[in-house]
Amino acid sequence: MDAPRMNSRKFIWPPKFPKWGYQNRINFKIGMLFLLPWTIGFIVFTLYPMVASLIYSFTIYHARQPLEWNGIKNYTDLLTDDLFWTALYNTIYMVIIGVPLTLFSSFFCAVLLNLKVRGQAYYRLIYFLPSIVPTVASTILWLWILNPQAGILNILLGYVGIDGPNWMTNPAWSKPGLILLGMWGMGNTIVIYLSGLQDVPTSLIEAAELDGANWWQRLWNITIPMVSPITLFNLVTGVIFMFQYFAQAYVFRGFQNLGYPLNSTLFYSVLLYQNAFQWLKLGYASAMAWVLFIIILVCTLALLKISDRFTYYAG
Amino acid sequence: MNKKLFTSLIILVIISMLLTACSGKAAEPEVLRVWIQWGDNPQQIQTLFDKYTAETGIKVEVTAPLEVDKILPALTGSEPPDVLVLSGGDLVKSYYKEGLVDDLTGAVQSGKIDLTDFFEAPLDQCKMGDKLLCLPWGTDMYALFWNKDLFEAAGLDPETPPATMEQLAEFSDKLTKVAADGSLEQIGFLPDMGWDHSDLYINMYDGFWYNEDGTKMTANSQPVVDALTWQQQFYTKYGVDNVMSFSSGWADTYMSADYPFYTGKLAMYVDGEWMTGPNFISAFKPEASYGVAPFPPPADHPERANTAVVQGTVAVIPSGAANKEASAKLLAWMMSPAVVAEEFCFNANLPTSKKAAEDPCFTNNPKFKVFTDLISSPNAKIIVTTPISLEFNDAWGLVIEQVLHTGMDPKPVLDELQATFEPKLAEANK
Repeated sequence: MDAPRMNSRKFIWPPKFPKWGYQNRINFKIGMLFLLPWTIGFIVFTLYPMVASLIYSFTIYHARQPLEWNGIKNYTDLLTDDLFWTALYNTIYMVIIGVPLTLFSSFFCAVLLNLKVRGQAYYRLIYFLPSIVPTVASTILWLWILNPQAGILNILLGYVGIDGPNWMTNPAWSKPGLILLGMWGMGNTIVIYLSGLQDVPTSLIEAAELDGANWWQRLWNITIPMVSPITLFNLVTGVIFMFQYFAQAYVFRGFQNLGYPLNSTLFYSVLLYQNAFQWLKLGYASAMAWVLFIIILVCTLALLKISDRFTYYAG
Repeated sequence: MNKKLFTSLIILVIISMLLTACSGKAAEPEVLRVWIQWGDNPQQIQTLFDKYTAETGIKVEVTAPLEVDKILPALTGSEPPDVLVLSGGDLVKSYYKEGLVDDLTGAVQSGKIDLTDFFEAPLDQCKMGDKLLCLPWGTDMYALFWNKDLFEAAGLDPETPPATMEQLAEFSDKLTKVAADGSLEQIGFLPDMGWDHSDLYINMYDGFWYNEDGTKMTANSQPVVDALTWQQQFYTKYGVDNVMSFSSGWADTYMSADYPFYTGKLAMYVDGEWMTGPNFISAFKPEASYGVAPFPPPADHPERANTAVVQGTVAVIPSGAANKEASAKLLAWMMSPAVVAEEFCFNANLPTSKKAAEDPCFTNNPKFKVFTDLISSPNAKIIVTTPISLEFNDAWGLVIEQVLHTGMDPKPVLDELQATFEPKLAEANK
């Protein structure tokens, strides 16, 4: 092996590979062959659509006629499109309120589900079960739970003297309703947290116990830092998911317009869908898609950058 | 294995896979594909088209129902369906401008389709100048439904529906019950029950949101303002929040016995002809005692009686269809009175063929006859469509929410709508 080159600081291009024997070459080719299905899939279903949408985003799209070059007008039009800003606001609302809330409550649930109590397996099952219910089914279920007349949530709130809001028809409550729906299905996040919690070394916890640290101090000083990489993972995937939020909002409006009530559930992807497939403005929708891509990219990179300060990678 | 042989084999496999994907088209169609956007009962539609197979030996594959986002790929893809049936004519002109659907004039001639057999109003929605972009295949109209039991309980004559829009509001008042704590127990009339019916109300005030040829926006004209103001009273009178809370979730119960019209929570509302057929009221609430009548005109314009708006299914031939001749033949078969009668009798939708409308299946039901009379009424109107129709319709949905569901003053809302869409329409009509 030509290992010492790894240590030398000189950058060598093209890289020199060790000379391969006959068997290595065959193995390489077979390996590539196994990769081929994925590579073809990637090129046809990911790379090509991405490049095409980038081109479309600078054009007025005509399905059976040549594309009409439109320069950066699709992008500049976004700036003056009220619906674009409404959708962006709604989406950022979900990201800023929904993601931390889901993160916090799933961590809280995971901590509870990590306690050593009788029947813990059943509790875990109960919390995980909703996350395997298909999105459309769970959303329809929640339409009934949130129904102000017959819904169980408002009936329960009524027992404690709270006059429940019109979750689905009041624009102030529609997004909180959707966040509730999302929190109900946070089983996956809980499971990831749970695995993180079980990885926290007991030696550290025991040492802290010997030093007289109480439960809260142990949680704050040991558990939370130890699971911080999990938090980062859940945060980044949560943010990406929320920016692309679509299916629940699409189903949640029931038989009403997309965005009902009063465009309060008009999220970025919903408006994109509407532009592309209902109003046939595929060029404009492509521009929206690229703006969303850039927003998500910037947010993710920023989060990863900031995370250096609060993430602790043991070992 | 020999290296060259191995490589050539792989290449051969890939090439053969690609070739299968884009295989050539047979000269004579063995299978025709019909895509239908609506379709509560796909099996029934397939059975109908199986009769075409029995007559001609050509198999027909029906795909129904279709989500709206499948329509564009259906028209732009390399293998579009041979006939596409759309839920409404809203976008047909846009599709034609984009080169996605054919002018059917030739298909009508070659298939010997008798255009005089079509009711005029639904056919009009397909015309653009001297071109015919679609053919209506079944259609819908709306009328006033009232619950006779609730009329009787409120001291009204159960056989006499309101004669004017003003009287309808008076009746609604008598039919609305408010509990001691101010919440609602029964509503007389909900103008947007199920979905928005503004097109009907605005036509009653003799206007629309476009001018007649669709070249100008008239979204803030007086008829539109009047129609919205009229609708708004049914919300504001009892408190918008009260009505919203009481009626919340109603739309989701449409296909069930919990529909408020059946449970006695709603006394009057606007709905379509299919309700009088076997699949709705008589299925969910067979004992319901209800009446149907044309929606009443404003008191000072009795001549607008029997005004109604035609909306409904249209069939198009995608411009990329492989065998236009075969498409035209199938289209002609679909438009024949016998087929129209069978399909729309089953679903209790209005037949678009005059001959089909004489079928006893339609004429034996006196409630259905209200709608067949409306479709041949000189006051039957079509919905004027423009290339921006769908975008406008979504914006209109927001206006309805703002005015009805939050109680905003209609005029400024409509002025803003007009200001937004006037330039868009001008741009689209260039």
